[in-house]
Amino acid sequence: MPHFSWSIDGSIIGFYLLVTMAAGVWLRKRVRRVEDFLVAGREMNLHLGIASLAATEFGVITCMYAAQAGYTQGFAGAFPGLCQAGGMFFVGWTGFCVKRLRDKGVMTLPELFENRFGQRVRWLSGVVIVMGGLLNMGVFLKIGGQFLVLVTGLDLSYLVLIMTILLGLVAIYTMLGGMLSVLVTDFLQFVVMSVGLLVVTVMVLVYVGWDQLVTTVETYHGTGGFLPFANPHTGWAFVTMQILMGISTTLTWQTVISRLLSAKDSKTGQQVFTRTSFFFVCRWIIPGLWGIAALAMLGWKPLDALSATDRATLPQEVAQKIEASPVGIPLDGLSLEEQAAIPAKVKASLNDASLNAMPKWMSTFLPIGLMGLLLAAMLAADMSTDASYMLSWGSVIYNDILAPFRRKPWPHARAILWNRCIIALIGVYLFVFGLWYNMEGNVWSYLALTGSIYLSSMSALLIACCYWPRANNWGAFSAIVLGALVPVVHLVMEQSDSLKPLLHGFNKDHAGIAAFVASALGMVIGSLLKPKSSSVTPTPAQA
Amino acid sequence: MTEHWFWFGITVLVVAWYSTITVWIAIRGAADIREMVANLDAEQASEKVDESE
Repeated sequence: MPHFSWSIDGSIIGFYLLVTMAAGVWLRKRVRRVEDFLVAGREMNLHLGIASLAATEFGVITCMYAAQAGYTQGFAGAFPGLCQAGGMFFVGWTGFCVKRLRDKGVMTLPELFENRFGQRVRWLSGVVIVMGGLLNMGVFLKIGGQFLVLVTGLDLSYLVLIMTILLGLVAIYTMLGGMLSVLVTDFLQFVVMSVGLLVVTVMVLVYVGWDQLVTTVETYHGTGGFLPFANPHTGWAFVTMQILMGISTTLTWQTVISRLLSAKDSKTGQQVFTRTSFFFVCRWIIPGLWGIAALAMLGWKPLDALSATDRATLPQEVAQKIEASPVGIPLDGLSLEEQAAIPAKVKASLNDASLNAMPKWMSTFLPIGLMGLLLAAMLAADMSTDASYMLSWGSVIYNDILAPFRRKPWPHARAILWNRCIIALIGVYLFVFGLWYNMEGNVWSYLALTGSIYLSSMSALLIACCYWPRANNWGAFSAIVLGALVPVVHLVMEQSDSLKPLLHGFNKDHAGIAAFVASALGMVIGSLLKPKSSSVTPTPAQA
Repeated sequence: MTEHWFWFGITVLVVAWYSTITVWIAIRGAADIREMVANLDAEQASEKVDESE
């Protein structure tokens, strides 16, 4: 029985929502120019930048996939956090690419590319950034709603209603105040979220205990639970992909870059990166510990995720194989024929078993009062992420995809109105996609793959733009097309029952790495193929 | 505990660092917001003066 009290926990949540909305709406009158709306007039200082970046990059979805990683891979599941922290610290400390990017005073990455590769590359970059970003955030709302429903013990049929309310609140303050509202609400959300995360983590360490967490990982995952290289389900492909992701997200992920571009100057932007970098370890370790604790207390019982009716549809032999499957991979021991015979709804429930384990356990672990604090923390995390993501992808749509339709600069009022309409449309998309898309397998791998649609090509473009004088638009086009093609083809094949067997174990990590390799090769080969006489491009310093 | 000192150390570091930075950011971030709003208000006021002139 979930420990959720509407009077106590509900009041805590209601109070938090009221304060956030008031703060978000309070700043709307200070938005006068489009720069205020998209990059907060470039007035962001260091501490606000750290709060905003940390709050943006920790959503309910982060908590869910990091807990799932802890549940299915043990401590080794937190490895991506170490890579992200390392990547961000390196980029912030050296200023690799980002110093030049901030010094140019652009609002988005594609705007920088226009100087070097031309208008068409800017437009196409905008398209792939938005495509990758929107596919990536398409699952946020559903998984966020799933967490809240499971923790409060509400019926799953309330999922749509909860998703609508969450999205509506976020959309209102983002549309009214843009980046200014996002920064201030991010600050509030960072404080609420951090207090909630820390209190719950201390409770987990005290009541479950370090020794039991370690024993659980040893029992279920062996050495692979501590070393990602030793885990047959992660291994070298996973590790390589995480290192590539760690650096490329810092360089090109629009929500991260928008903090750099909102900073007062490049030095402040770099400091935001170096000083926030360790937070990326926290954001994997904390929910990871919760996931391991859920495994310690609940064990791995995938059939418990099914209703009695759904369980009855499974033949005895298949049910036994599922029960004996490795943690987090319920269909691992089944043949393709056996898998195909399982109804889609049952398959989805089985796939969600590891994802839902942590919130299910939390719903009975935390006492009344602390449950309200956890929910307020998770709402804070989710709202800050959704707001920033809507604004960031919206800024690329306005600034780069719609750029060819603006022969001369639009008046500020018109530009802000367009940005508000774009954010509203992204909200509608999120709602529809969240209801429609059925995700296969591990959430983090899905996010990494959809992100690599543009992370791979944009990283290649940015590095070449800053440091390779020979780079040109042929290379840029090749990198963009190849970088997007690999993950998109993989996603389509994975969703099709007839094409899926052709993948032969070529998983999301392999596809992600292939995208990075294809982009880099595309940039080099494409640039070298263009005759020198027609590739008159500015030097890196000019670009 | 000693067997998995790396993950134990990371966990202790995470709790200690995150607690410290939460308090630090709560104090300094509020000051940043005040400064940002003041700068925007000052800009707005100077633009109004320019327009009236």
